[in-house]
Amino acid sequence: MIEFTSVGLRYGQGPEILKDLTFRIDPGTFHFLTGPSGSGKTSLLKLLLLSLKPSSGKVTMFGEDVMDLDQDRLLLMRRHIGIVFQEFRLLDHLTTFENVALPLRVLGQPESQYRANVEELLEWVGLGERMHAHPALLSGGEKQRAAIARAVIGRPDILLADEPTGNLDPELSVRLVTLFAELNRTGTTIIIATHELSLLDSFDFPRMVLRDGELAIHD
Amino acid sequence: MTDTPRFPTRSRTTPIVPERSIAGRTLMLLIAIMTFLSGVTLGGVVLVQKSAIAWSSDVGREVTIQIKPIQGEVMDSNLRLAVSLAEATPGVASAHALTLEESQNLLKPWLGEGLDLSTIEIPRIVAVQLSDPTDADIPRLENDLKSIKGATLDTHAAWRQQLNTMAGAIVVSGLLVLALIVVATVLAIIFATRGTMATNREIVDVLHFIGASNSFIAGEFQGRFLLIGFRGGIVGGLAAIVFFLAIGIAAGSAGIGNVSAELGLLFGRFSIGFDGAAGIAAVVPVIAAMTAITSRLTVRRFLSQIS
Repeated sequence: MIEFTSVGLRYGQGPEILKDLTFRIDPGTFHFLTGPSGSGKTSLLKLLLLSLKPSSGKVTMFGEDVMDLDQDRLLLMRRHIGIVFQEFRLLDHLTTFENVALPLRVLGQPESQYRANVEELLEWVGLGERMHAHPALLSGGEKQRAAIARAVIGRPDILLADEPTGNLDPELSVRLVTLFAELNRTGTTIIIATHELSLLDSFDFPRMVLRDGELAIHD
Repeated sequence: MTDTPRFPTRSRTTPIVPERSIAGRTLMLLIAIMTFLSGVTLGGVVLVQKSAIAWSSDVGREVTIQIKPIQGEVMDSNLRLAVSLAEATPGVASAHALTLEESQNLLKPWLGEGLDLSTIEIPRIVAVQLSDPTDADIPRLENDLKSIKGATLDTHAAWRQQLNTMAGAIVVSGLLVLALIVVATVLAIIFATRGTMATNREIVDVLHFIGASNSFIAGEFQGRFLLIGFRGGIVGGLAAIVFFLAIGIAAGSAGIGNVSAELGLLFGRFSIGFDGAAGIAAVVPVIAAMTAITSRLTVRRFLSQIS
């Protein structure tokens, strides 16, 4: 599903942020991406999200070399990838329901077609009673769950999450990763970037450890 | 967890691009002003063109025979002869000699009231109405008039040419002004769109990350700008039509009796008519479409730059 071969990344003429990354991620697997701050986790997620292209090496996703993709193909491929941002990035003027439904709305689906699905998903993540609230009225945990719901509503093949538990207490963090694990059981490939070691120890999922832009461990 | 009341399901979906994030009122006002200026310019061009056509047509349907007083010649018989020669010319509908009083009245605007013109021998005029200016045998009439001493024929050709040149210059100037207004409007829309895109960068990024195509994003912005363009256009277009109505009423009530009629003859009626109003109304969808297309192209360019 995802294959990196000797991938390097640098911004402009700056130093190499990611160096000689080679790994493979199979469909339906669950991976933690970890490493100290500045090790390149977010940059690697950007490569996986197709918002950056590698400076060197080869990235293959869904069987296609990302360097060969034009803008339109890139956008179409991105629809198979869900993303949960560390800072949620919900649109403040939309309700929770509208934020979660956004990926379906951009596909041109009418509200009557997706309303039931979105409501069901919001119930599943525990936001059934908050679907008409705007993000400003949601707690950190609620925003995080709304962001997750938005990332999975389009049934992506891959779900990426950048420090999804960064604003949550340990108990809620575990519950959240359990939620991801449930999604993983439905076949979604999950990659969670986190630097919380306690969280990693709570789950027995493979870890990709980055150090200074290099893949130190991939088990 | 804060309790929030559950609102009933809303039938209207919130726009993805928030209305407040666009400098809507300012842009709408700007478009209204530009539409008003376009409408006034277009109306002015229509007025000038209509008046020029009317003048040219009126003047072209009439030629004038002027008979200067010459010692030994009898003016009244010369006038009668001139009338009969004119009436015998093909393409002439009628001819009549202006009375002495009518001729004196023609001089009053130039010489002022109170002057005793009976002591001066003034040239006399025969007004000749043509039934068909293109078929009238003017050379024959010119030739026939050689038999009358002091008679000359004025076809007003120089006046008409001057008039047409002047009207043409005004129309071309108006169209140039219109083109400049369009360019200024397009530039203003480009700046407003760029500002809006910068303000909404976060929304654009999120839409990109969830797989929205550039055309979808451009469409969301275009919809907002189309609405602003329509509103501004309608306000500006209506203001331009009201302006011409007010000018028409003001011009109609200016002057008394003959003065008003003469002003009308000289400058034409300040009425743009149905076709003029239709032209101004047509400016509204043009401005709205221009707003939408310009903003769409600007958004597409912005998106391709950040992609």
